[in-house]
Amino acid sequence: MRFKCAELKEYQIVGKPLSKTNEKTPIYKMRIFAPDEIVAKSRFWYFLRQLKKVRKVNGEILRMTLVSNSSPTKIKNFGIWVRYDSRSGSHNMYREYRDVSTTGAVTQCYRDMAARHRARAHSIQIMKVEEVKAGDCKRPIIKQMHNSTLKFPLPHRILKYNKKSIFVAERPSTMQ
Amino acid sequence: PKIPKMLYQRFIEIGRVCYIRLGDHAGKSCVVVDMVDQKHLLVDGPETGVPRTVIRLNQVAITDLKITIPRGCKTKKVRQELLKAEIPAKFAKSSLARKAAAKAATANLGDFERFQSRVAKTLRNRKIRSTVKKM
Repeated sequence: MRFKCAELKEYQIVGKPLSKTNEKTPIYKMRIFAPDEIVAKSRFWYFLRQLKKVRKVNGEILRMTLVSNSSPTKIKNFGIWVRYDSRSGSHNMYREYRDVSTTGAVTQCYRDMAARHRARAHSIQIMKVEEVKAGDCKRPIIKQMHNSTLKFPLPHRILKYNKKSIFVAERPSTMQ
Repeated sequence: PKIPKMLYQRFIEIGRVCYIRLGDHAGKSCVVVDMVDQKHLLVDGPETGVPRTVIRLNQVAITDLKITIPRGCKTKKVRQELLKAEIPAKFAKSSLARKAAAKAATANLGDFERFQSRVAKTLRNRKIRSTVKKM
């Protein structure tokens, strides 16, 4: 089932314009982040149309593969280059995220852009996603996790209490 | 000089043994292997059947047990250190584990056992109340 809140998937889509004569046409490959195959194909043509003189009518998709996560238990830093349309213009951005997978990082990026800039998914273009080494990271929020002896307490911890104990005789303890 | 006791004794850190309260692996203990961000941990529980996964901080309760492992080390090493520090046995003795076990036990009580526990409680409370009255 497709869930709006689910993580995006990474597709590698290869397509080319059809040729009316039997000449060779260039083949284009794109890295698309989409919730499913249908949206992935749609975005492929959207971008290809912007970048090259190809339309879905005049082209064909040669291959679409779902790219799986190579190391789902290794935490990586991702640098994401985004282009997005705000209410008054188009802007480029470089954003950093820490996640276990590329798709996780890109999903975080979409959520983050929506939260911080009210940018909807249709106005966001992911230009490049790259794994960045810890030393090359720029954002302090990401760099603060690069401490090998990192530790923090959980002060004043408020846990979600179930509805059974919504009224209690004594104030619950928030210590750890 | 006397080292003052810190206000916070338990930290989220590499090697901290945690108890998973919610989610897929609720009720199991695991070890913090790495931290993704302020709200997510990479966690591994080779002795309790928790696979190496990312979980949210609010799914987890910190225990006062800790092992020494390098950041992001392999599951084999985590298991080694866990067994060396005898964590499974120590965790089973902790109040968290004992409470969870007691809760599981009461959930599995049959009708007669529930009756027995009710009778036992009534007798105990009767005794307590009569002793208090005499005071």
